[in-house]
Amino acid sequence: MSEPLLSVSDVTVRFGGLKALNEVAFTVGEGEVIGLIGPNGAGKTTCFSTLVGLNRPKSGSIRFQGQEMVGSKPHRVARAGMTKTFQNTALFPGMTLYDNVLTAALGHEPLAQARETATRCLRDLHMEEAGDLAVEDMTFPQRALGEVARALATSPKLLLLDEVMAALTPAEMDEVIATILRLRDSHGIAFVVVEHHMKAIMKLSERILVLNFGELIASGTPDEISSNPAVIEAYLGAGHDD
Amino acid sequence: MKRSLLILAVIAIAAILLGLALDPRSYGVRVLCLILMAAALGQAWNIVGGLANQISLGHAAFFGIGAYTSTVLQVQFELTPWIGMPIGAVLAAVAAGAIALPTMRLKGPYFALATLAFGEICRIGAQAMSGVTGGPQGLSVPFYGDSLAMMQFRQPGAYVPLFAALFFLVSAVFAVMSHGRLGYMLRAVRENEEAAEVTGIDTVRIKLTGAIISAACTALVGGLFAQFTFFIDPDTVFSTTEISIRAALIAIVGGVGLLWGPIVGALFVVLVEEFLNSTLSDALPGISPFLFGVALVVIVIARPEGLVSFRHLVTDRFGKKGKEA
Amino acid sequence: MTPLVQAILDGLLVGGVYGVVAVGLSLVFGVLGIVNFAQAEFLMLGMYVAWFAWSFLGLDPMLGAVLALAAGFMLGYVIQRLLVQRVMSSDHVAQIFLTVGLLAVMENGALMIFGPDFRSVQTDAQMISYRLGPFFISAVYLKAFVAAVAISVALWALLNRTWLGRAIRATAQDAPAAQLFGINTRWIYGIAFGLGAALTAFGGGIVLSFAPAYPTIGANYVVLMFTVVVLGGLGSVMGALLGGLLVGIVQSASTLVLPIQLQNLALFVIFIAVLALRPEGLLGKAAK
Repeated sequence: MSEPLLSVSDVTVRFGGLKALNEVAFTVGEGEVIGLIGPNGAGKTTCFSTLVGLNRPKSGSIRFQGQEMVGSKPHRVARAGMTKTFQNTALFPGMTLYDNVLTAALGHEPLAQARETATRCLRDLHMEEAGDLAVEDMTFPQRALGEVARALATSPKLLLLDEVMAALTPAEMDEVIATILRLRDSHGIAFVVVEHHMKAIMKLSERILVLNFGELIASGTPDEISSNPAVIEAYLGAGHDD
Repeated sequence: MKRSLLILAVIAIAAILLGLALDPRSYGVRVLCLILMAAALGQAWNIVGGLANQISLGHAAFFGIGAYTSTVLQVQFELTPWIGMPIGAVLAAVAAGAIALPTMRLKGPYFALATLAFGEICRIGAQAMSGVTGGPQGLSVPFYGDSLAMMQFRQPGAYVPLFAALFFLVSAVFAVMSHGRLGYMLRAVRENEEAAEVTGIDTVRIKLTGAIISAACTALVGGLFAQFTFFIDPDTVFSTTEISIRAALIAIVGGVGLLWGPIVGALFVVLVEEFLNSTLSDALPGISPFLFGVALVVIVIARPEGLVSFRHLVTDRFGKKGKEA
Repeated sequence: MTPLVQAILDGLLVGGVYGVVAVGLSLVFGVLGIVNFAQAEFLMLGMYVAWFAWSFLGLDPMLGAVLALAAGFMLGYVIQRLLVQRVMSSDHVAQIFLTVGLLAVMENGALMIFGPDFRSVQTDAQMISYRLGPFFISAVYLKAFVAAVAISVALWALLNRTWLGRAIRATAQDAPAAQLFGINTRWIYGIAFGLGAALTAFGGGIVLSFAPAYPTIGANYVVLMFTVVVLGGLGSVMGALLGGLLVGIVQSASTLVLPIQLQNLALFVIFIAVLALRPEGLLGKAAK
C-alpha cells in the first residue's frame, strides 16, 4: 500500500498556554486539491506554518513523501517539495516580481536554469507582464498571485495556498481556479487551499477540511460539508465573517 | 555584471597608471594608496552590511586578524605575506564563522552590539597576548629592503599596483556575489527571513557564507595595510572607530549595498580626511572624525530610508536583465 | 576567603555606579526602542561638567554630578527632539548610524574643546578608607555607592510615584494607547531620552571622584554599559541596576584569577554569550 503524499497525524501546536491546533490529522493524496475552511482564528494559517516547519508542533507527526518533516527547517521542507504562500503576502520588497520568483528557483537550481524556471512560472500564472514591476508597485491581487508564482518556482509537489483569491473579482477568481486545476493536471501538484470565499472553495476542492478552535471538526466532499450541521453551527456560532 | 567588472578593471588600471605618473615618494601617491585601501575595506563591509543588511560594528576584528597574522608570521618565521595574508584571510574566516553562529539570529542593534564587543575582545586579546603580538607596544614588520617576494618597498608608489589589485579583487567579489545566486539569496534573507526559508533558502548557511567572505576580504586589506605602514598595534588595527565604523561610513556615504558606493565613499572620506589633516588637525585634533560624525547624522536625517534603499537601482538593473534571459 | 569577600565588596560598590551609568541606556531603549550607541558620551560629558564644577567652583564631584544631571537632561532632551525623533519610525540601520554619528561628534567635539589631557580631582575622601574587621572600604567608593543608591531610589520614585513616571511607563508599554489617554508621547520620548542622558551624566560625575576624565573615556565604557543592560534585560530599569552590581562583582572577582588586561575580556565574553543565548537578559522577567 503506498503512502499518501502528506499524512498529518495528531499534530498539536501550543502558543503559550493556548492550544492553536489540537490533534489535527488528515492526509493529502498526489495531485489532490483540498479546501481548508473555518472561522477566523480557527488555526488555518497556523496549520500551514506548522506543515512547512515555521512552527514546531508540541506533538504529532507530519510525513511528506514518506519522510518525517517535524523538526526540519522550512528550507528542507521546501526542498522536499512542500511550501506555502503567505496570507498577507511576503514577497521580498526591493526586488522585482521576476527576481522574487528567480530567488525561489535558486534555492534548488543554478542561475541559468533558475531563469528559465522563473519565466515559466510567471507564464503559468499569466504574469509575464508584471515581471518587471517592483513589489511596491504591484496591486494586492498581483502580489497574491506573485506569491503563487514564487512558490511554484520551488518545484513543489504540494502547495499550500493561504487566501490568494482574497481580493479578486469573480472573473479573476475563476481564472485562478482554472490555473490551479491546470497546474494540478500538467505538473501533478497537489494543493491545500485556504479561502473564505465558499463558492470558490466548493468549485475547486475535491475534499474539504473544516477547522474550528484548532480542531478538525469535519471532512468530506463539498456537498457533504455544506449540509453538515457541525460546520453550519461553527460558522454561525462564531459570527459570520464573509 | 561583465560591464561592472570591466569598469572596475578600468578604474584599477587607471589608478596604477596614475601611480606611475606621480612621483613614487610623493604625498599624492600615498593618498592614492589610502583611497584604494579605503575602497577595498568599505567594499568588504558592504558584503554583509549592504547585501545582507547586517550592520557590523566589529570588522576591525577581521582587519586586525589579517594584519597580525601576516606580520607575526614574518617576524617569527620570515614567511612571505604572499602566503601569510591568505592564511590571515582563512583565520579571519574561521573567526567570522565562530562569531556568526551564535550571533546571526540577532536582529539589527543586537547584532551591531555583538559585533562591536567582538572587535573589542580581539583588541584586548591582542594586547594581552604580548608573547605573540608584542602587546600594546605593537609590532614592526621586519625590513628586508625592496622586495616583491616579501611584499615590501621603500616608496609608497610601489604599493599602488598591490592596492589596486586588492581593490579590484574585493570589488569583483562583491559584484559577482551581488549579481549571482548568493546575492539574490542574501537580499531575500535581508528582506524577509521567514519567506526566504519557506521558499527553500537555507538562511543560516547563506548568512554564514556572506560573513565568511566579507571577513576574509577584510583580513586581506588588513594584511596589506601592515605591509604599507610597517607597524601595527592593537589600538590601531582593532580600532572600533578607525576601522569598524570607518568601514561602514565609507559604504554609507557612497550608498549602502551599491557596488559604486564604497568607491565614491572612499574618495570622499580619504580626501576630506587628508585635506583636514594637512590644514587643520594640528590646531584641532579630532576635526575629521568630528565632521564624519556630522556627515553620518546629516545623511541619516536627510534620507533615513536612503541607507537601506538602493531599491530603485536594483529593480532597474536586475529586472531588465532578468527579462532578456 | 578574605580576598574574595574583599573583591566582592569592592565590586559591589563600583557596581552600583555601573548600574546608574547604564540605567539611562536601558531607559532609553525601554521607552523609545532605540539602542543609543552614543550613551557613554553622556558619561564623558558628565565627568567634564563635574570636573569644571570642582575646578572653578570647588564643588565636590557628588555635587558636580547634580549639575551633570541637569546638563545631561537638557542636552539629551534637545538631541531627542531635534534628531532622534526623526528616526523613531525608521529602519534600525538609520537608528544605529544616527547614534554612532552622535558618538563620533561628541567624542571628537570634546577632544577639540577640552583637548586630550586627563583631568582628575583631588578630594579628601580619596585618602580615607574605613576598616571593617579584616576588610577595607574606601571612602570614595562608599560615597559613590551611596550617591548611586540615592539616585536609584529617586528614579524609582519618579517612575512609580508620579504622573510623569506613569506616563513614561505607559508610553513604553504601548505608545498608541498612551496617546489615546491624552499623553503627548513625543514629549515623553524627549523627557525619557533626556532622563536617560541625565542619569548617565550623573554617573559620570560620580565616576570622576575616582577616575580621570578624558575625551575618549566613553569608548571604555560602551561595552561595559551594554553588558550591564544586556545582563539585566535591555529596557528593564531594575535589571540595569542589578546588572551593574553583577558586572561590578564579576569584574572585581575576575582580577583574582585573571591578569588585569584580561579583566574586561571576561565581561565581553559574558556579554556575547548572554546576547546570543538569552537576548531578553539573564534576569529576564524577574527584573521587570
